[in-house]
Amino acid sequence: MRFSEEVVKLKDVWVAYSGSDRPAMRNINLTVSLGKLLLITGPNGAGKTTLIETCLGLLKPYRGSAYLFGVDTRSWRVRYSRKMCGFVPQDFMKPPFETYTVRHVIRLGFAPYKSIFESLTEDENRRIQRISELLEIEDLLDRPIGTLSGGQQQRAVIARALARRPKALFLDEPFSSLDREGRKLISSVIREYVDSEGASVIIVSHDVNPIIDYADIVVKMENGRIISGEGYA
Amino acid sequence: MLEFLGLALLAAVLSGNLCGAIGFYVQRLKITTLSFSVAHAALAGASIGLILNLDPVYSAMIVAVASALILGVIFTRVEYGRELISMAVFSTSSAIAVFAIYLSNVRVLATASIAVVLWGSLLAITVEKLILLLLTLFIFVLYILAYKIQIDSMLYDVKMAEAEGINVQMHMLIMLFFAGLIISSSLRLTGGFLVFTLLYNPVAASFQISRRAHMQLLVSSILGASSASSGLIVSYILDWPVGATIALVSSIILLSAYIAKIIVEAARRRCLSCPMLG
Repeated sequence: MRFSEEVVKLKDVWVAYSGSDRPAMRNINLTVSLGKLLLITGPNGAGKTTLIETCLGLLKPYRGSAYLFGVDTRSWRVRYSRKMCGFVPQDFMKPPFETYTVRHVIRLGFAPYKSIFESLTEDENRRIQRISELLEIEDLLDRPIGTLSGGQQQRAVIARALARRPKALFLDEPFSSLDREGRKLISSVIREYVDSEGASVIIVSHDVNPIIDYADIVVKMENGRIISGEGYA
Repeated sequence: MLEFLGLALLAAVLSGNLCGAIGFYVQRLKITTLSFSVAHAALAGASIGLILNLDPVYSAMIVAVASALILGVIFTRVEYGRELISMAVFSTSSAIAVFAIYLSNVRVLATASIAVVLWGSLLAITVEKLILLLLTLFIFVLYILAYKIQIDSMLYDVKMAEAEGINVQMHMLIMLFFAGLIISSSLRLTGGFLVFTLLYNPVAASFQISRRAHMQLLVSSILGASSASSGLIVSYILDWPVGATIALVSSIILLSAYIAKIIVEAARRRCLSCPMLG
């Protein structure tokens, strides 16, 4: 299957939630190519999460078209494009009784690449180890994720996204539970990932420090519209 | 007589086990309403079997599996109003079931064939049905093992799994397919109106007993099997309707699990506030 070099392409996209009389996102035009770090910022309710979920095809536009690696997100084939993506949702926190260990959670990121009865390769296990060292969570690998703090859980989910070696990484408020040191570390790791892998990273964050120093393009949103940075990234 | 009771007991253990396990998955994947509709579609199918003079298990299986697949496909196309679609299928299935029973040649409600469909029967368990249950169990376990990492990923976080490229719709469809298959295989034992108690009560009880996902699956399967087998024994001893007795036993187990949880939590709170420990 052939994929476009354009990671995301949104053409006059309008998205609305069920029961709402006004669109959560209106008339959005955005193209993101490979090798860019895009920061989407704006106040609460600006439509940032809607935008990231529309890019991944988790939400479908009722007007306009959205493409992920050149595949229309309304098509069933978008699943193949998603295999090239990593995603960290805003609501990543798990309750204290969630018993999956951090190692298990990161391993689950490889699930879409596995055929029946297939388990992880040595190389993939080594990658999990390497990424967790990079994000300073190697001591937490065998701890149940539910027993960890918000910041530790957030690092674990980012590690899962990075371990997949995605061509596009979508991070929804990835700094929300991190302290200053944590934000700095994650920001530099993400920048390094973009440069070394030639991948694209799309970050949604209302708090722009310190990631704004690492971003190639900053897009500002308000009331479901892009107010600056619209167009080609 | 003992041989026949042994057969029924084995079928009860298998049915209960399967219902408990599929109940866990449908609950964790948040497709409980869908499975509820599928359970009623099975009842409609069994009732249609009465009119057409077919084995109700097979007609239930055809209708339940077909409705599971149709609902699954509709759900991949429709984003909003899914609950309402499920409820529409549930009401339509119930109406078809009642109509089919009315239209069937049998005039008295207590007649054996109708009783099997509605309330379940000990006498309805045959070697053929037992093999069907064993086959269902085998295919279900095979599926769970083959797609373990994908299913685990969905159980952990469905949204993340979908965003990463797992075919969530296909797995939901397969789970619904198994729900249809398991419900219709268990129909003869518990009856169409009570089969879903074996689907939901064990998993609800397991949630009171453990908060760990894998433990919940195990406990739910064990409670399903023990509810069905002990319900069957009680119904045999007291000459009660088997489906209703199984439903009662599973409800008692659920209630006991709930009460036990309250007692354990109260004791834990008392221990924490104990001055010696505090």
